[in-house]
Amino acid sequence: MSDAIVLENVTKTFGSTVAVSGLNLSVPVGGLYGFIGPNGAGKTSTIRLMMSILFPDDGRVSVLGENSALDAKDRIGYLPEERGLYRKMKVGAFLVYMGRLKGVDETVIRDRVRQWLEKVGLGDCETKRCEELSKGMQQKVQFVAAVLHEPDLLILDEPFSGLDPVNMRLVRDLVLEQHARGATILFSTHVMPQAEQICEHIVMIHQGEKVLDESLDAVRSRFDPRTVLIEPLDPLYPLNLDDDADTRGLEQSAGVEDVHRTDRGYAISLAAGADVSETMRAIVAVCPPRHLELQRPTLEDVFLALVGEVPE
Amino acid sequence: MRRVLHVARREFLSTVLTKGFIIGILLTPCLVAAIVLLMPALLSEAAPPIEGEVLVSDPTGLVYPGVRNYLGPAALAEKRAEILDDAAEVMPSRVPGLVSEVAVQSLLGEVPKLEVILEDGDVAAAKLSLLAVSGPLAIAVIPDDAVHGAQGSYQLFVREKLDDRLERELHSAIRDAIVDARIEARGLDRDELDALTRVPYRRSTTVTEEGERETFLFLNTLLPVVFMALVLMSVLVSGQYLMTTTIEEKQSRVVEMLLAAVSPMELMTGKILGQLGVGFLVLFLYSGAGLVGLVAFSLTGAIDIGLVVYTLISYLIAYFVIASLMAAIGASVNELREAQTLMTPLAVVIMVPWVLWLPITRNPDSMLSVVTSFLPPVNTFAMLLRMTSTSPPPFWQVAVSLSIGVASVYAAFWFAAKIFRIGLLMHGTPPNLRTLIRWARMA
Repeated sequence: MSDAIVLENVTKTFGSTVAVSGLNLSVPVGGLYGFIGPNGAGKTSTIRLMMSILFPDDGRVSVLGENSALDAKDRIGYLPEERGLYRKMKVGAFLVYMGRLKGVDETVIRDRVRQWLEKVGLGDCETKRCEELSKGMQQKVQFVAAVLHEPDLLILDEPFSGLDPVNMRLVRDLVLEQHARGATILFSTHVMPQAEQICEHIVMIHQGEKVLDESLDAVRSRFDPRTVLIEPLDPLYPLNLDDDADTRGLEQSAGVEDVHRTDRGYAISLAAGADVSETMRAIVAVCPPRHLELQRPTLEDVFLALVGEVPE
Repeated sequence: MRRVLHVARREFLSTVLTKGFIIGILLTPCLVAAIVLLMPALLSEAAPPIEGEVLVSDPTGLVYPGVRNYLGPAALAEKRAEILDDAAEVMPSRVPGLVSEVAVQSLLGEVPKLEVILEDGDVAAAKLSLLAVSGPLAIAVIPDDAVHGAQGSYQLFVREKLDDRLERELHSAIRDAIVDARIEARGLDRDELDALTRVPYRRSTTVTEEGERETFLFLNTLLPVVFMALVLMSVLVSGQYLMTTTIEEKQSRVVEMLLAAVSPMELMTGKILGQLGVGFLVLFLYSGAGLVGLVAFSLTGAIDIGLVVYTLISYLIAYFVIASLMAAIGASVNELREAQTLMTPLAVVIMVPWVLWLPITRNPDSMLSVVTSFLPPVNTFAMLLRMTSTSPPPFWQVAVSLSIGVASVYAAFWFAAKIFRIGLLMHGTPPNLRTLIRWARMA
């Protein structure tokens, strides 16, 4: 499989601030990559380097086989983090304009705009001015502008910020639809659970440096689940929640290192080298559960494990 | 290039289809024309007729009859007819009716109805009567020696806020009456003297390779200024729009959406070309109106085709330099208010041609004229003034000036492209001139 995006030892500084430092990255054609990291990690700068909006101080960038994204702009869809619309322009006219800039055929451009507006629930907004739309509606128009020309590569920088849950789900489905069509997707966010829901592969960046570049499955298997969540079957267990003695049975189970209270029960940390199956059996014996779960490590957990900081 | 043209098309249409543009650019000349056409009617209606007394203290008794005669309705009307004739003589013969009786009457007001009374009493007391509402309009005091002896002058006392047009007519009448009295006292013939001292004005004839034609007195002076004003106005209008639309794109954060589709250079070029269209439209509308006027008065011979071509070239040079800098300023600030600081040096440069107009026109071969015609960005304007002067520059100077102009376009575009690319994504503290230069060096 060839690569849609290749970054080789890319560095970008702004004055004394190093935004991206020696970054190496390959996104294969057809991949669905999550590009995550806390605010200020260098995600947007890296994306701007990919889009040739910025140019690296050092290193090489290749996008869709071209040495500059400028030579492949018609094949790239980009939804920037800093996005807006022409306030006085009508929605349909704006999308037609963006489609023209992206080289969409004049004979199909208007029909395609209408189809997309219908698809995102804005069928009646074609002749409205952009300033008349709500923020969520404007974001959907911006998303349509990014995918209207059916790009081979779709780069989305914080696509869900400001969306309500319904529209968040709609945009997520549309992103997955683009991926199913064959587009390569690079999806940037600082909200890590969003990446977990969509992406196949995670690239994590911190202070301009890559700290993780693995498939989501590999991440999950590498960062073993070490916590068991239990909700006791007996709602009265333990009788006195403040009494350490009531959790002693759990703490003394084989393979248990520590026990913490949660809203509905306990989070039990497993001891190093403990067998997960046997430990869970021991826990069930002490405290019959209503709900028992081997907690998956979240990307936040992974991030914490990798950099030892709480993401903002 | 496809993308550049799409950007240019949108830039042009989004500017010329706004109410602000239509009102500001299209309706302004219409309003000016309407005012010019309605002005005579407005003026003739506005000025109330003047009626009142004029006292003349004349111990000699020789001047008063003349004053009374010259301030009579018939004499005043005759005087205005002479003004009409004099004005018509300096106007081109192909402009019939431009200096009409109505126009002169509008300018001077209705012929005043004056009663001229000989004042025998105390002048000091008469002067006090000027303060009374029902008092005289003016008092003319003729000294004893006005006619004989040292040939002294006169004094005119007027009431407060007297119409200045009437005051001029009073002076004229008194002077004429004194001259008449002096001529008569010496036994000379006034008509004969008038005939001897009057030489009728004849327009000069300009000899050209195409033949002889009437000399266009005022057009020769005004045309270069008109050309320069057209170019400057058009450049300023479109440059200002370019800066404003760039700031709006940055403010509304639509710019990064655009940069997903076009490069910064394509965006800037498209916007500059779009606003060039706006500038041409303004130029076409205003110069077109002027051309219609010249054709209507058969004055098209006053326009040199070479000058028109040079004006167009100088327009393009001036536009690309100023528009590039405006685009750079627009991209580097966050809002229009912040642009004023960076606009100041540019505004000063744009004002230079107006300051240079008279010095260059009067002394087209002076050191100042020659140097400024090679100094961008005012060189094309300075050269335009020299080319229309009495001593046009040699061709090589024109060619060098144009070459410098083209080079300045390249330099301005290069500088602006670098600022534009960095500035578009910059938010926060607006940059100063030093920061802009640093951006240009680092980009």
